[in-house]
Amino acid sequence: MGRPRGFDEAEVVRAAAALFAGRTYDGVSVDDLVTHLGVHRNSLYKTFGSKRGLYLAALRWYLEHEVHPLVASLGRAGDPVRAARLASEAGAGLDFLLLATVERAPVDAEVAAEVTSALHAVDGALGAVLHAGPDNGRRADDGGASSALATAFTAALLGLRLRAKAGGPDTGPDRAGAALAQRLDSTLSR
Amino acid sequence: MAQVHIDGDNLVVVIEGMDKLWALKSSLTIPLANVRGATADPGMVKEPKGFRAPGAHLPGVIVAGTFHINGDRVFWDVRNPAKAVVIELADERYARLVLQVDDPRATVELVEGAARRS
Repeated sequence: MGRPRGFDEAEVVRAAAALFAGRTYDGVSVDDLVTHLGVHRNSLYKTFGSKRGLYLAALRWYLEHEVHPLVASLGRAGDPVRAARLASEAGAGLDFLLLATVERAPVDAEVAAEVTSALHAVDGALGAVLHAGPDNGRRADDGGASSALATAFTAALLGLRLRAKAGGPDTGPDRAGAALAQRLDSTLSR
Repeated sequence: MAQVHIDGDNLVVVIEGMDKLWALKSSLTIPLANVRGATADPGMVKEPKGFRAPGAHLPGVIVAGTFHINGDRVFWDVRNPAKAVVIELADERYARLVLQVDDPRATVELVEGAARRS
């Protein structure tokens, strides 16, 4: 009680985010956390309550410091081709979001809420890019079709990161993203 | 071995069999509001445990009873480290409980879920 924790909590959370971006939640043991974060076990429990508590802190740190800046630059991308390139350049920066979506969101309501709100933010940014075409007045009132298109664009760009992780020289996710974006761009500006 | 269940707004831990003799405790009742989380942690048993008072510590056989470390009181009841769960508490006599349970994954889900709702 009242003793200094003897470690930098923000630094530990940041390092945990890096660990959880590369490996599943179940694949990271408390031994791994203690070894990689340089924190004593008892301090870890005292500060975060549980492994899940640390995971949530790491996920929130990551969404704020990595995903939100990406969302901001996507929103400013101006056209779908540039947005697709930004998403492709983000590369491993998307991995924690993908892992959390696949592994933890289905079994943890708090993770699901964080992930859903991040995905909505990406949808919103890509929607703004898709709407920035010359006839945006017409598309503004299309019964939700344009926001559905933004969701599909988000899903495609995140899916291409999954393809990239699988590797292989013939996958060409950069080219696939660019091809989709060019098609979207030409359809929208028609 | 310990049985962990939820009874209303409380987390109830029942120490089973001979372990209650070594641990000098047969059950613990903790308001869920004071439960911060639970973690399956097979490596916990390798940690320094501090000094024991009262209880039993036969390294490699059983860790049971109350231990004091860094000013914290920790309750242990573990024979098989692979089945250890760490339950972190706040504003309680014990700072944390380290319990051997039958199904660590299920116990963690039960406790984390209940603590979240409280």
